[in-house]
Amino acid sequence: MAEEGWEPKIVAFCCNWCSYGGADTAGMGRFQQPASTRVIRVMCSGRIDPLHVFNAFLEGADAVLVTGCHIGDCHYVNGNEKTEVKYKFLEEMLQQLGLEPDRLHLNWISASEGERFANFINDVTAKVKELGPSPLKPAGVK
Amino acid sequence: MVNVGDMLVGYATNEDVRKRGASGGLVTAVLAAALEKGLVENVVVMKHINEFEAVPIITDDVDEVLASTGSLHSVPVNLAKYAMGRKVAMPAKPCDAQAVIEQAKRGMIDLDNTYVVGLNCGGSMHPVTTKKMLVEMYDIDPEDVVGEEIEKGKLIFKTKNGEEMAIAIDELEEAGFGRRESCRYCTLKIPVNADLACGNWGVIGDKAGSATFCQVMNDKGVKLLDNAIEAGRIEVEPASDKAIAIRAKVNDVMVNLGNTLEKEIFPEIPDEERMQYYMEPMADCIDCGACKEVCPVCACGEDSKCTMFHSLVDNYKMSMYHMVRLLHLSDSCIACGQCSDVCPSDIPITLLQSSFAIPSQRKREYTPGMNVDDVPPFFEVILK
Amino acid sequence: MTEQEAITNEESEELRIGAFICECGVNIAGAVDCYAVADYISTLPNVVTAVVNKYTCSDAGQAEIKNAIKDLNLNRVLVASCTPKTHEPIFRACVEEAGLNQYLFEFVNIREHCSWIHMWEKEDATRKAKELVRMGVARAALLEPLESSEVPVTNKALVIGAGVTGMQAAMDIGDMGFKVYLVEQGPSIGGKMAQLDKTFPTNDCSICILGPKMVEVARNENIEIMSYSEVEEVDGYVGNFKVKVKHKPRYLNIDECTGCGLCTEKCPVEVPYTEFNEGIGTRKAIYTPFPQAVPLRALVDKSICIDCGACIKACERGAIDMDQTETFSELDVGVIVVTAGYDVYDPEPNHDFGFGFYDNVITTMEFERLINASGPTMGKVVRPSDVQPPKRIGFVQCVGSRDKNSNIYCSSFCCMASLKNAQLLKEKYPETEVYIMYMDMRTPFRMYEEFYNRARDMGIRFIRGRPAEVTENEDHNIIARIEDTLTNEIVNLELDLMVLSVGAVASESTETIRQILKVSKAADGFMMEAHPKLKPVDTTLDGIFIGGMTQGPKDIPYSISQGSACAARATRFLAQGKAMTEGITAKVDDDICVACGVCVPMCPFQALSIEDDKLKILTALCKGCGTCMAACPTGALDQSHFKNEQLLAQVKNVFAYGEV
Repeated sequence: MAEEGWEPKIVAFCCNWCSYGGADTAGMGRFQQPASTRVIRVMCSGRIDPLHVFNAFLEGADAVLVTGCHIGDCHYVNGNEKTEVKYKFLEEMLQQLGLEPDRLHLNWISASEGERFANFINDVTAKVKELGPSPLKPAGVK
Repeated sequence: MVNVGDMLVGYATNEDVRKRGASGGLVTAVLAAALEKGLVENVVVMKHINEFEAVPIITDDVDEVLASTGSLHSVPVNLAKYAMGRKVAMPAKPCDAQAVIEQAKRGMIDLDNTYVVGLNCGGSMHPVTTKKMLVEMYDIDPEDVVGEEIEKGKLIFKTKNGEEMAIAIDELEEAGFGRRESCRYCTLKIPVNADLACGNWGVIGDKAGSATFCQVMNDKGVKLLDNAIEAGRIEVEPASDKAIAIRAKVNDVMVNLGNTLEKEIFPEIPDEERMQYYMEPMADCIDCGACKEVCPVCACGEDSKCTMFHSLVDNYKMSMYHMVRLLHLSDSCIACGQCSDVCPSDIPITLLQSSFAIPSQRKREYTPGMNVDDVPPFFEVILK
Repeated sequence: MTEQEAITNEESEELRIGAFICECGVNIAGAVDCYAVADYISTLPNVVTAVVNKYTCSDAGQAEIKNAIKDLNLNRVLVASCTPKTHEPIFRACVEEAGLNQYLFEFVNIREHCSWIHMWEKEDATRKAKELVRMGVARAALLEPLESSEVPVTNKALVIGAGVTGMQAAMDIGDMGFKVYLVEQGPSIGGKMAQLDKTFPTNDCSICILGPKMVEVARNENIEIMSYSEVEEVDGYVGNFKVKVKHKPRYLNIDECTGCGLCTEKCPVEVPYTEFNEGIGTRKAIYTPFPQAVPLRALVDKSICIDCGACIKACERGAIDMDQTETFSELDVGVIVVTAGYDVYDPEPNHDFGFGFYDNVITTMEFERLINASGPTMGKVVRPSDVQPPKRIGFVQCVGSRDKNSNIYCSSFCCMASLKNAQLLKEKYPETEVYIMYMDMRTPFRMYEEFYNRARDMGIRFIRGRPAEVTENEDHNIIARIEDTLTNEIVNLELDLMVLSVGAVASESTETIRQILKVSKAADGFMMEAHPKLKPVDTTLDGIFIGGMTQGPKDIPYSISQGSACAARATRFLAQGKAMTEGITAKVDDDICVACGVCVPMCPFQALSIEDDKLKILTALCKGCGTCMAACPTGALDQSHFKNEQLLAQVKNVFAYGEV
């Protein structure tokens, strides 16, 4: 278990059109969330390279979120379908490495789903808090 | 005229080639004919160094092809990268053929210009390991070896002075010698992914030891054989039902053994020990990049995602290099064993790669290097 | 050397980042200690200045940015404030005016993503804001100038859906002198409004005010109506959309038909499929949609036609062509207005209030047709079970609206619609008892509350409560059991006819078009606007606008306003004749690329190809999604403005050793 008061650090990759908008809508709706998450904007979830996810973990992320538009809603026809293909590999790989499954999530969130975004952050943060710091986190990193 | 799907038994017409080759010299003769009749411009052959060692060379000299070694169990390197950018015919273990097809998927090899004569393979040995084994297990000076063969699960070496020494392969492998580790759990023994699938399994009766069983896999296989027959270099006849059955049976035995060994080689790792299991050996990495350089399915140049985002300055618990490679190969690794061979830190890279690749490929019902039209799952546009 | 080039060259010598932290009044400053953020940021490498503004987007704030660029020789500007979705264009324009390439601007969101979601954790919010800005500084240091290119705009518009909103949009664009294609999936323009009897709050006849407008649309020489047609594919981008439209066969030459109706008269096939009359009455296999239809042309329902040839014989002009097949048009347009309308909520599947079980429970739309003088009963209100005039009629409000079992939103027009229908009944049949069963009566806007008062004065009875149980007696009368929450009484109301005031849902065609165009979907299923207040008819896609019911439930005046708004917003592009494209595209490093080609099938826009063992990128086709580079095994492909190194710099700066 983690030390008292420890807050996990979560890196969330969001696509410009949907999930980043969802995070905005969460803000507009004042849906309160723990200060665990740092959003990185990309144009499409399909841009999220597994290497970005690895890098986040190796730098010290306690969880990484891959988010995009709902299937069928991608602004670039099917970028999120390609995300899904790659995500499955990531998921299996991190599991094989022994990283707890709750540290990596894929979620489709539309620009209107502010509450869904906030609930997602709340859920993941709670789960990761339970797990404690990631075993891949370099010593001393905050 | 032969046809796709034919099961044949054949041998070289040239008495000398037939005798020197372990199984009637069919493969050597087919390669020679391909070169001399202009089907290809080059042939990749194994140049004889000594009785258990050969190195691959690229030649356009028919005599050099004819002088080459036939099948050997001790081979140093995967041959796929020798075929790049050439109009070439080559002998190939199943994993060589797999690598050729994977390179073709990445636009590095033009299959229309590449003739692949597949050889059955029960596993291969690294020359360095073999030498060490000869000294430690057989008590033979490697210089004295004049021949080797596998029979009934035993590896037999013949010496200059006519002696034969046989040790069970199981025993050798238990002692850390014998086949490459990845060969032990390999289950592709007959190169059905090549143009011709050749070998001595199923060669019976008076032909035993002096002919090759050959299955014609595709049109290029037809071309290779027709060409060699026309050139008068080989003779073939249909294989008997019995021969076909025996070949299949040998294959079954080998595949079953592979499956059994896979379970031994890949023990269940408890979840909480996994990270340590992978991190510990990789901590010895010296960043030489040899495993990438030698990888026969990797098509990247010197700079690639695994190297460009990897820095020695990073204080990471695992290197980006290995993380990216584990991912990029998890759909395409053919477990040829090259990376483990070359690692100066003796990291069992093939083993680590396979522990990611085997479940990943099995889940997707995908085997790399079998069909050029199968898209590597990582490059699928839509999840299947 | 241009000023921009001068600045670009300068940056290779020294990075000079200016950071502007916005308090946004108390929106940010209420939770984030902006001065602490500025203090921290000014300690980071390459940061020349870190300033706090009350409102960075204000004139004063922007002036401060421009002055700092000049006075301090800034070559990167970072603003930490709200969301780039609304404010990035403003700040990009601001730095560009000061001579800095707009792509050297970095935006950090510390409002929506920080102060507003950590309102009561000032310490956490401040620490997070520092880290977010740190990430932005790291990214800013790696930004590169890009050029966005100007593309010509095809000076034609496409309006999808010819209801009253689409008609208004088409007329306004047409009147401004631009060609408009008005595509309508049904056989006539007019939409749902054509079906209504009267319209509130003036109770004037709907088709009487709409009919002339429909004719006007048809007469407008800039408008080309494509009725009975559907948009199949849309490709391209603002200014240069390529649209494929399918024309469904009417089995009749539209240029020859005069809408005389002789064919309909002779047709022997009569079926109860009356789309226009909501299933009441019958129609023939060959028919004109309704008397005021535009275009007033017949069409054949092939699914029921028996090929007897009676119509062919009857048509003096030889217009009928039973061999007609669907045809396609390819349109080039610069802008697209979507006014694809709505469907009324269908109470059938859930059998709301006994609908579907009891004949005498009907919907508002059916009622509109019943009371309409040109409807199937010639305006005589009768009830379905015995075709007798009902003496007691009740309207149930919020059916399919404000209900967590169907739709939680308010459909907004149904209160007024029922008030209108109740009044019409009272006017026509003064002796009829009329009840409205409601949760809240919602009557905003001019003359609406007065309209409600008028209904009360006319003797219409209001019961605050909706039926908890609906049964039918042997006379097929409806017994509605209601708790009147104003009097705390349980009422058993016996009605001859009960009308369900059904709400609006996003139509199937709205959803189809939405998916073709890739417009965002709001939580209620309708299309989503770019901003709920500031950009109510824009979408996040340049050149695509939404209006009327497509964007959400609303009444006719509001819909027409949006139609005009769409026209105005869309015509800006047409009038300017040019649009700017994003500079964000795929780039390849030929030294690294091995031309393996795995990226080629990743591109949905066919921008990539391998030619002569080299990867070729057609930048004009590239939309900058970045999916190709995620597949690239070598890393030779990269996305400008979202380069791997820029993204990884952000990732790296999420973390640090020690506290900030």
